[in-house]
Amino acid sequence: MSGVLTVARLELTVRVRAGRWRWLLAAWFVILVGFTTLLRLAVSHAHNLQGNVGTVMYGGLQLFLLALALLVMPALTAQSVNGDRERGTLGVLQVTRLSAFDIAGGKLLAAWGTACIFLLASAPLVAWSMVEKGVPAIRVVIVTLVVALLLGVICAISLGLSALLARGTTSSVLSYLSVFALTLGTLIVFGLATAATTQTRVVHFSTGDPSAPAGCCSSEETVARTDLTWWILAPNPFVVLADAAPVVVERPPICRSFRTRGSIRTFCTPQPQSGVDPLGDISRSVRSLRSPPGLQSNIARSGGGEDLVWPYGLGFDVLLGGFMFGVATRRLRTPRRTLPRGVRLA
Amino acid sequence: MNPVAEEVFMTSPGSADGVVAIGVKRQFDSVFALRGVDFTARYGEVTGLVGPNGAGKTTLLLILATLLLPDEGTVRIAGHDPVTETGAVRAMSGWVPDAFGVYDNLTTREYLRFAGLAYGLGKRSPARAEELLVLSRLQDFADRPVHVLSRGQKQRLGFVRSLVHGPRVLLLDEPAAGLDPYSRVELRDLLRQLASVGAAVVVSSHVLADLEQMADRVVFVDRGVTVGERRIDDLARASGPRVWRLRALNESELVAALDRNHYPHTAPTPGGVDVELLSDEAAAGLIAGLVRDGVHVVSCAPLTTSLEATYLALTGDQG
Repeated sequence: MSGVLTVARLELTVRVRAGRWRWLLAAWFVILVGFTTLLRLAVSHAHNLQGNVGTVMYGGLQLFLLALALLVMPALTAQSVNGDRERGTLGVLQVTRLSAFDIAGGKLLAAWGTACIFLLASAPLVAWSMVEKGVPAIRVVIVTLVVALLLGVICAISLGLSALLARGTTSSVLSYLSVFALTLGTLIVFGLATAATTQTRVVHFSTGDPSAPAGCCSSEETVARTDLTWWILAPNPFVVLADAAPVVVERPPICRSFRTRGSIRTFCTPQPQSGVDPLGDISRSVRSLRSPPGLQSNIARSGGGEDLVWPYGLGFDVLLGGFMFGVATRRLRTPRRTLPRGVRLA
Repeated sequence: MNPVAEEVFMTSPGSADGVVAIGVKRQFDSVFALRGVDFTARYGEVTGLVGPNGAGKTTLLLILATLLLPDEGTVRIAGHDPVTETGAVRAMSGWVPDAFGVYDNLTTREYLRFAGLAYGLGKRSPARAEELLVLSRLQDFADRPVHVLSRGQKQRLGFVRSLVHGPRVLLLDEPAAGLDPYSRVELRDLLRQLASVGAAVVVSSHVLADLEQMADRVVFVDRGVTVGERRIDDLARASGPRVWRLRALNESELVAALDRNHYPHTAPTPGGVDVELLSDEAAAGLIAGLVRDGVHVVSCAPLTTSLEATYLALTGDQG
């Protein structure tokens, strides 16, 4: 383990001293502040949000932050192994007593640590959204852990690709492509797969007319079998993030009291549950995909534990990250049977 | 105090020879990089690995340094097999690649401390880094970023980095390439010093003049095969016709003396006059005769060094 820490400390020292890293962090913070401020101004006039401004701010901020992080992370890690090889610093590391696991683990730890620093930079904005009410602490804790884990997965994928491919540009492109595959790719495949599995079925209904012959009245309707395709969407980082976020306490109905003829009467109107919590909305929609057609309208089941999507998605993502980390470790093992293409032989 | 001798070895020799490689073969796709190399390097000696570009020198060194698997053959570094006892070999050997990078933004001291940690020196790393700073004469650059060092200084840094764990076997790939004459002399002295305290030093090069001055023994490889090996002192005593270049204070005096003694010679050039001689003894006889005749001889040296002649003979005629 000390080997991993040695490599991680070296990588972090080198990273922290490189000026561009600080500029990137500064730009990152400024963009997040700008976004959060705009979001706050945008929702300040929405009437249905009273008391839940924080929920919208927090949800929006986390989705935006994840999107931004997915853009930044590959740039930080995608050349960590082949870049070292091109600079000629990898070989002298490999002939030391450090194992392949030490080198890969140290590099992953440093990259992940950097990602977590970026995550930490959003803390003031998270605090702001908590001040605005509607953000339970447990939601912040769990969402932060999930985002950190997802960023670690992206780092591991980039690391694996940088160990697998000889050229830094190729591994960068492939890192971005894998981010694309996880985000937009899952969405596209889900859409196409759902369209492809759509079924036509006959629905019988009764007209209420007793003279009508039995089974007279039926119509055909198309049914999307999202219960067969929902899992395609599960690895999507945004889905994982939203679905893992603990549910904000449901909004109580708005009640008004009137004094009429000496007695007090209270009228309550239920508040709409959607449109006030971006994370909750995404979560509700993906969970509803799991219900077979016909049960879709069964609102009673919503929020039921058995419809969770995120454990599958996060599980898949973590396994993928672990696999790519394994690939990196394997490729760093020496003595090697093969050399990466393009590496000088003699 | 001799900084090399005091602190250099933290390991003990595993066997009589630092490096033994027998019948090593290595193929990349369809290209045979090594087709059967035999190579030994003894403790207490600097062994030169000589051959034209593409002869397989770097490939052999990568195998010796535990980075590459040989397809066939036996390799022992300090008595250990790099394939099955990689850790033991790494503990006993240091490797300096021909092109090695340094981490930008790291200071010289930090770089050496990190090397110590990477070799498992733990808390001894800072002290060892200071010793190596002294040895490399980079104390003044201890807190400067590595990337401000000159090429020669970087080479020195890379060299002492490979000594951080006190290896008994040192593998250097083209260490003299790109060094100014002063740094070459320094490198030579350091390597001789290491050998004198018992290290097995392997130096690959095609700068024959450097090897002639620093190596005890030279192994010639060409197209992936060992084509010969010589001891430098044997080479120096080797006989055979060679061209010697003579210079004197007065050129016409020299030419007249050569003509008088019936030595065939070339027309004088600004560099001197060339004479073909059969042996070192013949050269000594010629100089004695010229001095007796009152010619003010300034220099008399073989035009091609014996190493060069052997190198060309061994590697040139294989079509």
